Amino acid sequence: MKAFEYATAHSVNSAQEMVADNGQYIAGGNDLLGLLKEYIVDPKILVSVKSLPGLDRVETGSKVWTIGTNVTVAQIEDHSAIRKTFPGLAQAAAEVGSQQIRNVATVGGNISQHSRCWYFRHRDVLCLKKEGDMCYARHGENKYHSLFTGNTCISPVVSNLAIAFAALDATAVVQRAGKPVRMSMAEFYAKAFENPTAHNSLNPGDLVLKVEIPTTRTHSAYMQTSEKHEFDWALVSCAAAANITNGKLSNARVALGSISPVPHQVDAANEYLEGKTLDEATVTHAADMILHGAKPHEHNGYKVPMAHALIRRTLLKLNA
Amino acid sequence: MPDPANLSWPKETKYISKSTHRVDAAQKLTGKARYSSDIQAEGWLYGMILRSKWPAAKITNINLEKALQIPGIKAAILIKGNERTVRYYGDEIAAVAGTTKIACLDALKAIEVTAEPLPYVVHEDEAKKPDAPKVWDDAPNLSKPKVTEKGEVDKAFSECATVVEGFYTTQVQLHHPMETHGNTVSWTDEGLTAYASTQGITSVKDGFAGSLQLEQSKVRVITEYMGGGFGAKFGSGVEGKAAAELSKAAKAPVRLMLTRFDQGLAVGNRPSSFQKIKLGASADGTLLAYQLDAYGTAGIGGGGSSEGGGGGANFPAPYIYQIPNTRVSQATVAINAGSARAFRAPGNPPASFGMESIMDDLAVKMGMDPLELRVKNDPNPVRQKEYEVGGKRVGWKEKYKKPGSSPGVIKTGIGCASGSWGGGGSKKTQGEAQINPDGSVEIRMGVQDLGTGTRTVLAVVAAEVFGLKPEQITVKVGDTNYPPGPGSGGSTTCASISPTALDTCTNALNELQKQTGVADARGENWFAACKKLGVTPLVVQGKFQDGLSSRGAGGVQFAEVEVDTETGRVTVKKMTCIHDCGLIMNTLTLESQIYGGTIMGMGYALYEERVMDKLSGALLNPNFETYKLTGLSDMPEFDIVLINMPERGVIGIGEPSVIPSASAIANAVANALGVRINSLPITPAKVLAALGKIPAPVS
Ligand SMILES: Cc1cc2nc3c(=O)[nH]c(=O)nc-3n(C[C@H](O)[C@H](O)[C@H](O)COP(=O)(O)OP(=O)(O)OC[C@H]3O[C@@H](n4cnc5c(N)ncnc54)[C@H](O)[C@@H]3O)c2cc1C
Ligand code: SF4
Repeated sequence: MKAFEYATAHSVNSAQEMVADNGQYIAGGNDLLGLLKEYIVDPKILVSVKSLPGLDRVETGSKVWTIGTNVTVAQIEDHSAIRKTFPGLAQAAAEVGSQQIRNVATVGGNISQHSRCWYFRHRDVLCLKKEGDMCYARHGENKYHSLFTGNTCISPVVSNLAIAFAALDATAVVQRAGKPVRMSMAEFYAKAFENPTAHNSLNPGDLVLKVEIPTTRTHSAYMQTSEKHEFDWALVSCAAAANITNGKLSNARVALGSISPVPHQVDAANEYLEGKTLDEATVTHAADMILHGAKPHEHNGYKVPMAHALIRRTLLKLNA
Repeated sequence: MPDPANLSWPKETKYISKSTHRVDAAQKLTGKARYSSDIQAEGWLYGMILRSKWPAAKITNINLEKALQIPGIKAAILIKGNERTVRYYGDEIAAVAGTTKIACLDALKAIEVTAEPLPYVVHEDEAKKPDAPKVWDDAPNLSKPKVTEKGEVDKAFSECATVVEGFYTTQVQLHHPMETHGNTVSWTDEGLTAYASTQGITSVKDGFAGSLQLEQSKVRVITEYMGGGFGAKFGSGVEGKAAAELSKAAKAPVRLMLTRFDQGLAVGNRPSSFQKIKLGASADGTLLAYQLDAYGTAGIGGGGSSEGGGGGANFPAPYIYQIPNTRVSQATVAINAGSARAFRAPGNPPASFGMESIMDDLAVKMGMDPLELRVKNDPNPVRQKEYEVGGKRVGWKEKYKKPGSSPGVIKTGIGCASGSWGGGGSKKTQGEAQINPDGSVEIRMGVQDLGTGTRTVLAVVAAEVFGLKPEQITVKVGDTNYPPGPGSGGSTTCASISPTALDTCTNALNELQKQTGVADARGENWFAACKKLGVTPLVVQGKFQDGLSSRGAGGVQFAEVEVDTETGRVTVKKMTCIHDCGLIMNTLTLESQIYGGTIMGMGYALYEERVMDKLSGALLNPNFETYKLTGLSDMPEFDIVLINMPERGVIGIGEPSVIPSASAIANAVANALGVRINSLPITPAKVLAALGKIPAPVS
């Protein structure tokens, strides 16, 4: 870890001023401290965003709920109204790391976290994402990597919350160049799909303020499979959300994590689900559509059947 | 009182074979127990090690100058000289000592190393190829196999009613005790004191004296509490020697505890194994012939010197069953990776995995009950009893179904496996008891409590002999100034210290009675008798006595699992562990060993695996995020059954409990699925592959 300055921001403007070009925001620090300790990032200044006023609340509403960037993952997991209204989000939160991690991990930090690729995280390996000249994972140890990508890097998005947010069609509100910009989850990660050095679409200095979730969908669910039963990253995660009236789906959305640099969503599959009833045939067809074109590498082919099962199960869980 | 020349274990007991809570539980729970990594000697410095970033390289120069200029840095040393070859990622190069962690980290970055990278190889099958880069210049990577043959193997196979063949592989398992390796060392003109995280204070003392050419009388090793060793903590180690040299150079005590990252690289591991096995039996299931062709890696070397083995990648074969005709060929293949070291029951878990897997495969092919096949071929009478007890306990007859016949997406299965281990006591163990006039008692022994409950066992024996309570006994261990005790390895500690404590305490009691004229000083007479000592405490020695311990422990374990055939994930539902180890000293701490061993075996079965990267030569999972250990939510239900055999004396249990767990789980998974996963760890990826569900790679 290199020496750095530390400052606490009390307003959005001062946060952005202080962070300037060579600083980094710090919230819970779960992700950032690991990167600092392994000499993977070396910001001149860390600007704590935890004291920004008004960004640590869950605000309910008839059309939209707002979750401040500093709300912790544990708060989401335990929030009784969220558990009722957006069960998929609470389930996604409950699967994040360990209780200790959830207690300090924030919403903004969770969706902004960097790649977990073990080459990227390795202090002595310089891969494409760290301005090295090759992707090691493609020809090396890729069991935790993506089935889809738009570039050379196959490091997947691993934020549990992002997957649930994507299915719920949530919007991140990001302060950029003096004004708030609204991004869907697809937009929030789009850059990582194209650019191997990006983890998400944030520019330096961009500050996540909150996430807005429309109440459009009355049903949601989240499932993941890990090697261990708890405190382990998802090998594949899946979230689904929809309305169900008289057994018929509308506005359905499915998103998968850990198989692409972005929450993996297939519009055609979402459209296919419109008006369908939830049965084995429907969910199997949807799963086929969602995984069409998957490109497994030497060690991650298992993610295809695993994702297929999770899509089917998560959709069926919507009925529960 | 028992005659000291003819000691025996008491028949009626108050504490032996009963359950006594750890005498140091409160110390541990309140954080008062001082572990080796807690030691803060006056004026101590941090010590850190610079490791090779190259899997193989010729080092031509190391410049420590810039490191020494960093504020707070008090010393910097070379570890194996200036010009040398490093042979694995993580090989030690230099070390620094400084007043803060950050100064040391900066210093490591400031050390300039000039090196020419060399070709390397980190995977066994690559290293075996004739044109592979050589790990050692003067020897081939693949050792000449060690071949043994018994009987007439080919003829016997031709006479078998059924023959099965299989290929079974086990991974490299890393040593990750909760406390990493390390010491605080103070080396002055008066001598050297090391606060070591070790399972062998005596062997560490010997190691320091030998490697630093010090008189043994000038070396003292202290281990009050330590956080586990599992076979990897017998020596003073590279890190210990470095701490000593830094201490001398800096004229201050140096605490050099490895980081978790270091721990994954350089302190040993369980070798991998690749086992091609052929097994044949007559129509009634009597095993007739066995053939093994195996190799595995112990990294760059044959492993650290340690009790209980560790050299090379060989393992006992055939394992535990009686087979008249056997041909065994085993080789070790060197790769550019950290070397092996003794690891809880060295050789046995891989041996068990290969053997117990093919036993089940044979049973399935013959249409025979795998438990019956074991009963038929296991010559050990104690395990015979354990099959019987265990089989009834788990309801084997009802639960064992045809492999793969469990209905639905989530399939259930049951499996069985067994293990065997030596144990026994070390004849060199000595002890000392001090009885004070106020009736307080100290037992002193130069053994260390590895975390297994050594203190508690000593207190139990003393309490039994003196008619006191265990908590009335002050046990002092973990100091080479005490009479020498055994290293905690080979499951020999309990069988070494218990007879020694019995002898010591019996001598002390006899001496007390003689000096005070009290005919029976035990129990309620204790304090009155001790008072008669006047002002001078009584100090009495004792030593290991034959006839109170023996060798040969074992166990049979049954695993019940659920396998999700769509996600590939295995859930262990229940482990039933039937174990024997002679006379039980303390039931609670004994059960604790079986929990720990079984949980470690589960890690071997399902989660743990060293991942070496061929493209960089580095270890890819030097942390607990991706080197996965069994966690609380992975825990099954446990049913532990202990077979108490006082007539055999004390034996030892630490190791046998880890042996059969992975094999039993693997057999249960095969029983659930109807196909075998022939490779540990059994990950979702391997389950889905075995079920034929994985599409071919596209890229
Ligand atoms: C062992 C382990 C296991 C884990 N398992 C999981 C898991 O299973 N699932 C999962 O989803 N996550 C998991 N995590 C990741 C963890 O959830 C994230 O690291 C955490 O949520 C990050 O939040 P934080 O507040 O600690 O972020 P920080 O570490 O403080 O910040 C993370 C990143 O986000 C940036 N940032 C923070 N706040 C803002 C903001 N308001 N605007 C813009 N940028 C911001 C920081 O600059 C930094 O780059 C795990 C982490 C660990 C260490
Ligand atoms: S997947 Fe991405 S992060 Fe991982 S090695 Fe390749 S480029 Fe680097």
